[in-house]
Order: sequence, then C-alpha cells, then structure tokens
Amino acid sequence: MTSFAKLFKQSATYNLGKLLALQLEDFFETLGEIGIRFWHVLRLIARGKLNWRHIIEQCSRFAVDSLPITLSIVGMTCIIIAMQVAPEMVKQGGEKYVGALMAITITRELGAIMSGFAIISMIGSAYASEVATMRVTEQIDALKVLKVDPIEYLFVPRVVAGFIMMPVVVIFSSTIGLICGGVASFLSAHVSKLNYISSVWQGLFIKDINVALLKSSFFGAAIALISCVCGYLAYGGAKGVGLATTKAVVWSFVAIAIIDYIIAAIFFF
Amino acid sequence: MSIEVKNLTKSFKDKTVLDNVSFKVDDGEILAVVGLSGAGKSTILKLICGLTKPDSGEIIVSEGDIAMVFQYSALFDSLNVYENIAFALKERKEFKKKYSEDQIKEIVAKNLKTVGLEGIENKMPHELSGGMQKRVSFARAIVTNPSTILYDEATAGLDPVSSTIIEDYIVRLRNELNATSIIVTHQLSTIKRCADKVIMLYNEKIVYQGTPQDMIEGGNEYTRQFVTASIEGPMKAASSD
Repeated sequence: MTSFAKLFKQSATYNLGKLLALQLEDFFETLGEIGIRFWHVLRLIARGKLNWRHIIEQCSRFAVDSLPITLSIVGMTCIIIAMQVAPEMVKQGGEKYVGALMAITITRELGAIMSGFAIISMIGSAYASEVATMRVTEQIDALKVLKVDPIEYLFVPRVVAGFIMMPVVVIFSSTIGLICGGVASFLSAHVSKLNYISSVWQGLFIKDINVALLKSSFFGAAIALISCVCGYLAYGGAKGVGLATTKAVVWSFVAIAIIDYIIAAIFFF
Repeated sequence: MSIEVKNLTKSFKDKTVLDNVSFKVDDGEILAVVGLSGAGKSTILKLICGLTKPDSGEIIVSEGDIAMVFQYSALFDSLNVYENIAFALKERKEFKKKYSEDQIKEIVAKNLKTVGLEGIENKMPHELSGGMQKRVSFARAIVTNPSTILYDEATAGLDPVSSTIIEDYIVRLRNELNATSIIVTHQLSTIKRCADKVIMLYNEKIVYQGTPQDMIEGGNEYTRQFVTASIEGPMKAASSD
C-alpha cells in the first residue's frame, strides 16, 4: 500500500490533480478577496473616507496616461471595421446606413470594450504592479504600522477615479472612433461626409449613450479594484509582482466581459 | 511593564515558528532578539505591531504609538523624503487636525536633523544610499513620538561605519524618547552597543535570556555557538529553515 501510494504520488494524474487543486484554490482565494475588498471599499466610500487630493491625482493618471493608447486602439479598430464594412454596404446600396452602423457599434459595444482593454493594459497592469511591489517590499506593512488603512489609501482613490474617468475616456475614444470610421469609409468606399454624418445622427440613441457611460463606469471601477486586489495578494519577489500583474490583466478582461454581458442583458433583452 | 509577551504561539501553514514564547521588556529598555535565519525573530515584531495575529498567547503593549524600522527601510518609493517622513502626520486624522503644513515642515526638518540628514527633503528614496534610506526610515518612524520602536535588522547590509551610526541612533532615540525598543539582529556589535537584554530563539523556543555581556562572555551552548559563529553546536541552520 505504501509503495502504491508512493507510485501514485509520482504519477502524472496525481500531479495534474494537485496542480488543478492549487489553481482552484488560487481562483477562489482571488474571487473571495475581490468580494471582501469590494465590500470594504464600498463601506469606506459610504462613510465618506474620500481623499480628494489622491482621487484627483489618480483621475489625471487614469485619463491622461491612458488616452493616447486608448484613442489609438479604438481609432484603429474603427478604421478596420469601416474599411471592411463600408465597401460591402455601398455595393448593396446601403451607403446611407454606414454612419448609423458605426454609431451603433461604437456606442453600444466597441467604444467601451476596446477602451476597457486599453485601460487594462495601461492602467490596470500599472496599478497591479505598483501595489504588488509595495506588498513585496513591505511598504504596505509600513502603511499599516503607520496606522494608515491601505485599502483607504490605495484602493479607494483608484476605484473612484476609475468610476469617474472611464466614461470620459470612452466619450473621447468613441468620438475619435466615429471620426476615424468616417474617414475610412470615405477613403475605402467614397461614402460622402454629409451622408456619413447624417447617418451617424440616425444611429445615435440617448439610451445607448447612457448605457455605454454606465457600463464604462463599472468597467473602470472593476479594473481598478481587481488590479489593486491582485497586487495586494502578491508575495515573493519580482516573480510575484509579474504573476500579480498577469493575474490582474486576465481577471480584468474576464470581469469586463461579464459586466458587459450583464448590462447588455439588462438593457437590451 | 511596557511590552509583555505571554505564551505566544504562531504557525504558518504546517510550520510552527514560535511555540509558547514569553518575555518582558521594561519601559525604556532595549531588547535584542537573536537567532538563526528563520527562527521567528521578525515574526515576533510583526506580532507585536499587529501585522499578523498569533495562534494563541497574549501581547500586552503599553499605550502609545508603535513604530517599526523595516529591514529594507520600506520607504514609499513614489514619495520623496519629505513626504515619507510627513506621511503619518498628513494621512492620520488626529495629526491632520493637530498640525499645520508649516508645523509639519518644522517637524520633518527636526527629525532629519536628528538622523543627520538635513536638506534632503526633495530627494527620492532611490537617490539615497542604503544607510541614508535606513536613517530616513528612522526619521519616519519617530515622527509620531512612539512609545515603542521595533527594529527589524536595522543594520543588515550596511558597512561597519554606517552600522555604528545606526546603532548610535537606536540608543539616542531610546534616550530622547524613552521608547521601549526591540531589535532583531544578527550582529554582535549591535547587541553590545545597544541592548540591555538579549533573548535567543531556536526551534520555535527561547533558548537563552540574559544580558549582552553574559551572552558574549558565557551564556550557554547556543549563545557560544552563535558568538563564535561555529558550525559545531546544538543549532543546525538547515533545520531552522
């Protein structure tokens, strides 16, 4: 029996099972920690523990640092979509619908989700590595010894900044997306400016804009919270910081996909 | 009694780090905690300042702030020296109400003078040497006039001269603030210059309690092995990790 147990422990099945168990443990630990910290952040906000100096600093970082990359990604994506869709639509006689199609696509989905991806790569990864570095270099312990709540000091300003600034980023990126789509439609399918603009107006709905802004606020807060939590759970040295950053990016992608689905289900079905 | 530790036990996963450890440190006294790497010295400090919770046992610390000087300084690397030292005064409610910006500037300047680093307020931590970072972390630790100061290997990795400067500060801070201090260290020079009492940890327990002089001159088989840095003796480095 003992030798059988030994052999089993060396087997691939055992090691695979062990790996899966560790992954599951890590998954539930992260999920639980996100839940606990979300509640903690909400309680602090409800009690008015808002340091506006820190929030403004984080707002400027969230929007200013991420804007070039966000505008580039959304702009390029819209150019690609317009280049592929506009010629086909013109061929089918749907020139006057190109703008509407772009407007609906961007306001309902593309502006927020592509900006979210850009923010995750720019800001989320930066938040995670920053908090993780603070964790592994004992700076978070130093905060606690100085009797400063790390959640109040690190999480709250970032989450509030994400909630406030993400819609601003989405407004800019969606506007750029519409402009880029118009230019690409003109260059690839000779869709006239007037046709495109009037079509865009037809495709813009107040409800779509409101939902996009609401959705982007949730995206911003979720990205900031998840990134901070993943950083906060880091341990070890440089490897720990790297793993925390990767985890933050992956979890944030999944989180915004889930939030997107929930909001779409609530408002459009 | 300023710090009293009673029957403290702490485990991490399967490994017991401290088992039924008890000791006392009187007001204004400096206690040195020594032992091999992984013996649980830093864990004692983390338990005292509340960074981690004990599995069982009791820690009684007299009223007042607890400050800690970390092994690698743990300065906030996104803040400059001034902001690091002023941090607690600017972030904590009780100090925010008590001090104006000008008063905070004065306190920071005074603390920097205490550690011999005037005029470096605008420097970032990465622009400072290891010894200077350590001294800035001293200045940050004492800004709230703590009644207890914990030093986690405050002289580790420093050259002998910088170590002596740090050791002098430890004694000076005790004399000026009458703070009760606990130093975790591997260095005999720190024990000789600073400590009033020494405890030695091995295999989760205290294996020696006494004065630095007794420890260095006689002590027991554990302290003799530690003082002579001998491989031969009751302590095995591998088993303590």
